[in-house]
Amino acid sequence: MKRLLLATALLSMMLIFSTCGKDDEGGGDMAELVLNFTANYGNNPLVMFERTYDYEADMDFKMQLFQFYLSDVRLLRQNNGATEEVPALDVDLLSFANIYNDADAAKGINTETVSIPAGTYTGLRFGWGVSPQLNATIPPDYPLGHPLSENYWEDAKSYIFFKVEGNADLEPNGDFSDKLTFHVGGDNNYRELTFEKTFTVEKNGKLTIPLSVDLKKILIATDGEYVDFRQVKQSHSNTSPAAVFMAENAPSAIQLR
Amino acid sequence: MKIRILAVLPLVTVLLISACQDDDGPTGCNCTEDDIIEAVYNPQPYELVFPERFPQPIVPEDNPMTVAGIALGRNLFFDPILSSDSTMSCATCHNPQMSFTDGQPNSEGVLGMRGRRSTMALINLAFNANGFFWDGRAASLEAQALAPVEDHTELNESWDNVMEKLRRHPEYPTMFRQAFGIERKSEMSKELAVKAIAQFERTLISYNSRFDKVAWEQQGWPTDSEQRGRDLFFVEFATNTQDHPGCSHCHGGALFTENRFFNNGISDVNGLDEFPDKGLGDITGNIYDNGKFRAPSLRNIELTAPYMHDGRFNTLEEVLGHYASGGHGTINEDPNIQPFTLTEQNKEDLIAFLKMLTDTSFVHKPEFQNPFN
Repeated sequence: MKRLLLATALLSMMLIFSTCGKDDEGGGDMAELVLNFTANYGNNPLVMFERTYDYEADMDFKMQLFQFYLSDVRLLRQNNGATEEVPALDVDLLSFANIYNDADAAKGINTETVSIPAGTYTGLRFGWGVSPQLNATIPPDYPLGHPLSENYWEDAKSYIFFKVEGNADLEPNGDFSDKLTFHVGGDNNYRELTFEKTFTVEKNGKLTIPLSVDLKKILIATDGEYVDFRQVKQSHSNTSPAAVFMAENAPSAIQLR
Repeated sequence: MKIRILAVLPLVTVLLISACQDDDGPTGCNCTEDDIIEAVYNPQPYELVFPERFPQPIVPEDNPMTVAGIALGRNLFFDPILSSDSTMSCATCHNPQMSFTDGQPNSEGVLGMRGRRSTMALINLAFNANGFFWDGRAASLEAQALAPVEDHTELNESWDNVMEKLRRHPEYPTMFRQAFGIERKSEMSKELAVKAIAQFERTLISYNSRFDKVAWEQQGWPTDSEQRGRDLFFVEFATNTQDHPGCSHCHGGALFTENRFFNNGISDVNGLDEFPDKGLGDITGNIYDNGKFRAPSLRNIELTAPYMHDGRFNTLEEVLGHYASGGHGTINEDPNIQPFTLTEQNKEDLIAFLKMLTDTSFVHKPEFQNPFN
């Protein structure tokens, strides 16, 4: 029954979100919004399998999977001197699993296209991971194919907010036999980000906001501390030091392009 | 005069049908394909029953579940009329007692030829959004059901012949009308046949294992061994230094699968082009998909030996032994295939847990058995 109430509340919230999105104060003039994410490792595009990335302490690695959830995407606008949030997208899962070359990496991955009121906005706000409200739901609450219908930890009662998987060469001697799997979830690892920038979109227009995420900044903190693959090659947890470290680094890894 | 004709018509129909029954060859039938099917069409909707912990089933809008549709699908599933020599049905390889598998590494068809892959269990198919077969090549259950009839290593029959036999059958025209509301035998089609089979297959839902009772319905307690096995199976509380099987990466959720495709490290090949069976890669054309196969549900895994897409492992012990070895290091091997210490105790515990997923009520459910017995 609790789940039913929660699901009902969330559905109501989504309906309100969607109503908000369709009801422009200016009289219903609507436009479209999409977020485009590219992924990179430092100055190099992030591609699966095909590239070798130089890592700290003479280690190298290759990627197999990078994916993450975004949630509670809102646009900011000014209303009588106050900042107002315009809900745009409740949640999406962005996977770079099928990025195999630089050209596709440059194209990036789009979120679902959503409807927003046309107008001028002063910023963008979203969560890296699954917001606590949505993280309190479970996959059966959603139809198959919905972003939240999978990637769930039954025991930890959390979605897996992001995954980094690949192979490391620890010597380095060209042997990428050490497997890396970092899966991070849990409300404690949810991060909200705000970007201040003016965006204008006309009626029936499409606003594409380009963003980038730098995996290097997730693995290596600004103070030089890094995830040492020689010490930890897998972490599937909301509390392990590697998980918390990577989640803490995430906000600095995401930028407007 | 019209009344006389109407009175004679059923008699003629009966005579034609009985003529069909005595005739083995499709060309020997005197049936007129445009014969009107005399039966009442009154479809009764069928609601799938499943627990709250399962996702919503996928039922195509153009193939709603009905009692008559399921009955027709069940008959077709168990009827050897679908094979070229009337010796094999879907159920020959998909035996309900073995969770709809056949105990073979690869199955033998009517010509004595063997397929290249092991028969997949038919369980909780209504909840699969990611394609069917080991390689995901069929987008829907309806599309999946089309293939085995014309596969030379399986039923080796043409759908044209199947439909001709079904049109001449004394009961199927009526069942098709009851299921789909068609009026004439000429409207009986392979598309409707596979819709009916898909409807039946969507009813094959399993959720009454001991694990379901203990974990979800608070009926009883796990043994110590089962509990230890469970703790090994799920990953999220394992410490960084604790090696563990990581089974739930690929076999997670209430269905014990997310129907995703992986290279689980069973093939020792030197390059991505060298997999003897490329699996998903043959379908997508993506070299990095070579050697990837569906991670099937582990529900009823105790009943579905031998294991893997090619049936290479006869026992769960062998399967665990493979995973503990950590694979072969092929470039696209799933990184979650990590070596781990498999003590005899670990092995015993994991198998105790896996056997908790056996649902005998599913394999013995009367509605899933051969209707001709």
